[in-house]
Amino acid sequence: MDRSRFLGLLLGAALLFPATASARIKLTSLPQRERVEVQLDNGLFTLVEEERIVPLLESNAENGNNMIDFSWSNTAIDKDSIQFRPLAIREGDKFRDIVKVTTAPGVEVDEVGVINVAYPPNENALVWEVYSHQACAVKVRVSYLISNLTRSFEYQALADKEETQLTLRNYIQLHNWCGEEFGPSGVWAGFGPRFHKQFGEQEDVKMLVQKFDGVPIEKTFTFDWFANGPLNPDKPNASRVLMHYKLRNDEPHHLGAFPLQPGKVRIFIQDGHGGEAFLGEDWAQLTPLDGDMKLFLGEARDIVCTRIIESNERHNQRGNLFDQEIVVKYEIENFKDKAATLTVVEQLNRLGQQFFGNTHGDVQWEQGSKTSASIRFSDELGGATPMLMIDLPARPADKDKAVEKTTVLFHVTLRNLWQ
Amino acid sequence: MTRRITAAAVLLACLLGLSRGTEAKNVDLSTVPGRTGVQLTIYNSEDITLVKETRSLTFKKGSNKLQFSWANTLIDPTSVNFRPIEHVDDIELADTVFPGQKPQHLIWNVESKFEGEAKVEVTYFTSGLTWSMDYVSIVNPEETSMRFRGYVRVFNNSGEEYEHAEIRLIVGTINLVEKIAELAQRQGIPPPQPATPAHAQLRKQAAGRSFDRAEEAKDARGEKAQIVKEGLSEYFMFSVDGTETVPNGWSKRMQAVEADDAKFDIVYRMREHQYGPRPVRFFLWRNDEEHKLGESPLPDGRVNVFRENGSDGLSFLGQQLIRYVPIKAEIEVNLGADDLVVYETRRVSTERLNFHYVNDPEYVDGWDERTAWVDTIRNYRTKPIQFELRRIWQGDVEYKSATATTLFDYQTAETKFAIEARSKVEYPVTAMRHDGSNAKQSRIQIVR
Repeated sequence: MDRSRFLGLLLGAALLFPATASARIKLTSLPQRERVEVQLDNGLFTLVEEERIVPLLESNAENGNNMIDFSWSNTAIDKDSIQFRPLAIREGDKFRDIVKVTTAPGVEVDEVGVINVAYPPNENALVWEVYSHQACAVKVRVSYLISNLTRSFEYQALADKEETQLTLRNYIQLHNWCGEEFGPSGVWAGFGPRFHKQFGEQEDVKMLVQKFDGVPIEKTFTFDWFANGPLNPDKPNASRVLMHYKLRNDEPHHLGAFPLQPGKVRIFIQDGHGGEAFLGEDWAQLTPLDGDMKLFLGEARDIVCTRIIESNERHNQRGNLFDQEIVVKYEIENFKDKAATLTVVEQLNRLGQQFFGNTHGDVQWEQGSKTSASIRFSDELGGATPMLMIDLPARPADKDKAVEKTTVLFHVTLRNLWQ
Repeated sequence: MTRRITAAAVLLACLLGLSRGTEAKNVDLSTVPGRTGVQLTIYNSEDITLVKETRSLTFKKGSNKLQFSWANTLIDPTSVNFRPIEHVDDIELADTVFPGQKPQHLIWNVESKFEGEAKVEVTYFTSGLTWSMDYVSIVNPEETSMRFRGYVRVFNNSGEEYEHAEIRLIVGTINLVEKIAELAQRQGIPPPQPATPAHAQLRKQAAGRSFDRAEEAKDARGEKAQIVKEGLSEYFMFSVDGTETVPNGWSKRMQAVEADDAKFDIVYRMREHQYGPRPVRFFLWRNDEEHKLGESPLPDGRVNVFRENGSDGLSFLGQQLIRYVPIKAEIEVNLGADDLVVYETRRVSTERLNFHYVNDPEYVDGWDERTAWVDTIRNYRTKPIQFELRRIWQGDVEYKSATATTLFDYQTAETKFAIEARSKVEYPVTAMRHDGSNAKQSRIQIVR
């Protein structure tokens, strides 16, 4: 580390006892950082580990023990988290393990070990009292939790022009606002490669964690009347169709190396002319292995869906107990030159509230005979929120031929409702 | 001990040569006998420390006047006690006078049949000395065993330097009817003030000299101060072997608990009402011999948990405050959510039936609701895991599942799973809840 830029972190092996702990006038040697590791694998806490070679005097009755002073300023180190671990003793050019030694009959101790820690008043500092069986140079690791040295994740996706697959780059960004600069340091996010980077004070460093090629894209179009409402006053029965990319985080889909962390995803598409166009961006949620990363890209204006309540009838069962029979008609036009599947989300609890009132929790429902056979159903969102998958043909290639309107019916009876 | 004239806040003066008739009112000539020993018994549940000082005094036959003062400290004046520990039958405390003009003083009038030096003991309560506990657990890379350490940290903000003090720490909750710091101030005694620079320097030097000295020969042998633990009524006492110096304003941390190669269990818990919407990972072990502990209860304290990363380094797994752990009791540390263990629950169907009607025209006043759920737990770790699911069900519920399920309490179902590495289990459940007038109970019942 550059001495002239030594900021707030000071480790001194005070070789003489008298001055260290009282008036805090210190004569210290400054062992350099031999190695720094920044552990970012815990999303809430950042652990910094410094390795230094510390010269120690032999502990004896005359000199006492070694006092090692660790102090910092302008950095938010968690004082209670600081660990001091002697790792090895230098012998010539090599290091050897620390062994147990017998210092008195029946007394076996580590040849280098911490006796206690003292914390001076009104200082960001502590003093380790360290026993050393002999004068030696010891490799130690000082570990501590630090604030304002954080990480975030972001992604960049480049889809092919046909939107069948994409290349996903996962970046980690290290934000160093902790008040300290670090020389070449190891950085570990808990997955992916171990980085060796230098990052100065108030610097952000962006590193590629992993590049995933050939990730299949499932492009979805979603219509959810209750979530999005009418499109505009002129089209009171139409609503927005939202477009998503769905990426499955598993090996068959060329992902699945690790859970994908939350972060911003910027999505680009090859323009077919050697360039790229920006498609949109979204915040990715934590995506566990085998989970789906669903990225909202924007509205699909080329798919138009109109939702019409074709019929609405109430059937009395007994007393104030009723069934509500509803037929919902969807008229969909696909103006794209490719076939597509529209996912219609029907929130049946909201439907029951709209046409009956109190549903007493999740509605009980049955499908009626008028439901179009072409609809495929999914209960991925739960039993009361069926997803209706409707396949749409591409617009006709013949310019004189109009776009075919796909009309499907969802016939549902909401059972056992009462006010 | 000559430095104590300037360094110490507590001053014990022997006014031996003054007769009652010629006593000066505001001008005193004192000799200052040093402490020959000091013992601190520090409680962590309240801001109270019992200080026991031993001093050697010279007595003359007849009346002896002793003055005790405590400027700039938080001593409770009502707690100060004097007793001889040598020539006990010859030395008698006649009375104690709290002079009105000197609020931080008291005078003991002592009758002595003995002439010469005798040891006396002065005890009092003070505040500002506290202690706390913290723990560090470093688990091996395989997460099968840990190195566990507990540390006591003694804080001295009392305004007084305590050098070479025997330190005893009391674990337990005591009852105090009045706070010591308030008692000290109620007597008109101000709390400790910043000393003048010169005074502070002298005090620091005095403290420093003793602190810096290799306090005990044991230190030079690399031995840590041993913490002796023993039961005391409902409390536990940690006694620091030998003596320690904790200068005013400083704190000192010493190892008190040590366990190497202690095994532990890992359990995942899904309890949304307690831990939120994701399963959390726990390390569990016991404060017993099997886990290389059990010598004493473990006082409240924060545990920092690290894992060796296999390259001399550590990974930080989490931290948690643990509450007092009695001997043989379980220690639980919550490490938070784990991205490699996923829990999902889905309500797949709802059905209402068994309606009950009242009045004319009839209306529904009772019904049953049968819901079907499928919970899925996915384990992406390379080791099998234990997973505990607890879920609260409100109302009168009949709960049915093919998987063995028990009741944790009247409204909480508990199921335990052993999930193989890189695999998943599904847990289908049917719950029939009786609502309205059909509800006869407020409890969950497991049905087969």
